[in-house]
Amino acid sequence: MAVTLTTRPRVTRRAGDRHRRGVGRWIVLVVVGVAALAMLVPFAFMLLNAFKSPGDYSTNGPLSWPAEFYTTGLRTYWEQVDFPVKLWNSVVISGSVAVLAVVVSLLSAYALGIGRVRGRLWIIGLFLLANMLPQEALIYPLYHFAKEAGLYNTRLAVIIIFTVIQAAFGTYLLASVLGTFPRALLEAAALDGAGRWRILWRVVLPNIRPTISVLLVFFFIWTWNEFLIPLVMLIDNQTQTIPVALASLQGDRLMDAPTTNAGALISLLPAILFFLIFQRTLARGITAGADK
Amino acid sequence: MRRFRRVAVVAMVAALTATGLAACGGDGDDSGDANVLKLWHYESANSAMGIAWDRAIEIFKEEHQGVEVRFERKAFEQIQQNAGMIINSSEGPDIMEYNKGNATSGLLSSQGLLTDLTEEATKRGWDKALSPSLQTTARYDNGVMGSGNWYGVPNYGEYVMVYYNKELFAEHGVTVPTTMAEFTAAMDTFVAKGVTPLGMSGAEYPAGQLFYQLALSRADRAFVDNYQLYANPVDFKADPVRYGAETFAEWVGKGYVAKDSASLKAEDMGTAFISGKAPMIVSGSWWYGRFKSEITFDWDSFLFPGNTMHAGSSGNLWVVPETSKAKNLAYDFIDITLRPEIQALIGNNGGVPVSGDPATISDEKDRRLIENFNTISSQDGLAFYPDWPVPGYYDVLVSGFQSLINQSKTPDQVLDAIAKPYQDGVAEIKRD
Repeated sequence: MAVTLTTRPRVTRRAGDRHRRGVGRWIVLVVVGVAALAMLVPFAFMLLNAFKSPGDYSTNGPLSWPAEFYTTGLRTYWEQVDFPVKLWNSVVISGSVAVLAVVVSLLSAYALGIGRVRGRLWIIGLFLLANMLPQEALIYPLYHFAKEAGLYNTRLAVIIIFTVIQAAFGTYLLASVLGTFPRALLEAAALDGAGRWRILWRVVLPNIRPTISVLLVFFFIWTWNEFLIPLVMLIDNQTQTIPVALASLQGDRLMDAPTTNAGALISLLPAILFFLIFQRTLARGITAGADK
Repeated sequence: MRRFRRVAVVAMVAALTATGLAACGGDGDDSGDANVLKLWHYESANSAMGIAWDRAIEIFKEEHQGVEVRFERKAFEQIQQNAGMIINSSEGPDIMEYNKGNATSGLLSSQGLLTDLTEEATKRGWDKALSPSLQTTARYDNGVMGSGNWYGVPNYGEYVMVYYNKELFAEHGVTVPTTMAEFTAAMDTFVAKGVTPLGMSGAEYPAGQLFYQLALSRADRAFVDNYQLYANPVDFKADPVRYGAETFAEWVGKGYVAKDSASLKAEDMGTAFISGKAPMIVSGSWWYGRFKSEITFDWDSFLFPGNTMHAGSSGNLWVVPETSKAKNLAYDFIDITLRPEIQALIGNNGGVPVSGDPATISDEKDRRLIENFNTISSQDGLAFYPDWPVPGYYDVLVSGFQSLINQSKTPDQVLDAIAKPYQDGVAEIKRD
């Protein structure tokens, strides 16, 4: 049975009508609307140019309306990079990393945040180094380790690397969340005879589940967008991820803007879909604890 | 409901982890016996090289029954960044396309990662098929190009020329110039009619290449050897370098080049020509295929008037990694790509074959492209690119000529600014 902290939201919106009056509200709405539109401008350009033929793009520039509805760019990209394979690779890598990193973060944060290990501040600081170091500095050591371990050019190498990197951040975040976990609850559980393992799964986990869901979504999207390490580690076309495939459209001195746009469009869709599906979880996570 | 969701989540977690782990085991390795040729290049499928090499692979398969060709098209970026790491592992290809130059093929050859092809080159006659200035980028001595062993074999060439819009030329009564004087007279005509004659990009390579072309108009092979291969020190305050910078500034002053082009990218310059806004651009043969497929008006190209030396070089190289498990097959493949049939395919699709016979090229414009290259090649006129001599020189040149375009510096100041990094860089290379 799960002990849950979150009480039913009490009715606190007694002066709700106050917010419905005044120009201030409209100004805010306009500002937010403009900001949202500004955010959408690059996407609009991508959409506009994804359906343009290269000749049309070169002659009339990126701002013009497409002369014809040109889908060859999309098809070229899909076939040229063998998109389904890349999509599968990206899903496997990002999915595995998201799940594994959350599990690792939870376990280490439990030790650091609830277990109160001596010198935990330093330990967390060390973990954070993994995030703070530029990946360029890590790449050569990682390459040599992977090669020695026989993992170079395997998805497992990338999964392990990102599990560690993401878990470093996850540990930092969860450890500080768990640092404020009500002691009384833990003591009550201990009095009831629950061991450490049981406390983690039955008491701690259910209470921080919203935070964990957010972490899961973030880890997935962050890993999805990673470029450098997959570029170095995954050299076979059969193991590569979507961002690396997208880069293959860029030549030495030539670029093909419409095909790149088409590729970006296709490559973006899975991440958007994932976000939409988990959006509810995300919104719930951010407001979790807001009414504490 | 909640129970169901938990089960679903657990199942998803398990599935992802399992597939993640299982998927990584595979990647079967072929153990040494050479019935597989793993081949990588990064030319797009519809480019001249892409088409010609596809055919080369077919021929290779016909002649090597039972050999499987595992071809993968790679990202330029990936090879550029990781070639050293890739071929230092057992996962690399048996043969691949790689960039020519000291910083790329030169570096890998000096690290012992590339196979010495000298013996094959003499045995199979590659050394006769390629002219001396094409061989410069194929041979490296301790990582410096120009002499020593063969580490790569080029298939195509590239050079800087003048592309022009025939319709704009006719409209303004300008004919194709053959001397520098005619060239400037033609540009004067355009300026007088309020048209900027030369498309330009100050933020990328075109400005440096125009400067180099201008300098080369006063240069001979000895200068190129000094500048590119460090045979003797180069005096930046004397001709031809001084002439190049001063003439460049003069051209900006006369309005041949737009002052607001300082911040433009090469892509902007290209699209300005494609859309018919710029009557001429001075740039390389890498644009040719794209122009051919995208331009709707009548256009053509001519050699930079009056020059015997031109910016240009061999294209990228076929290299055979030292870790290659099928070296003999790789040599066979290189040999096929140099055959007349493949070379003609490169030429007929808008590329510049290294040993192309213009008679085999059907399109008139394509033929001119190749004839012009053969002219340069036969007079030993490939002078490479201005940014090649020292690492990081590209950015030095860009910022130098950007300030000439927007006239924030005098030619003298620019020459000072580009001389020092060059001299420091050469000193560094010579010390090693």
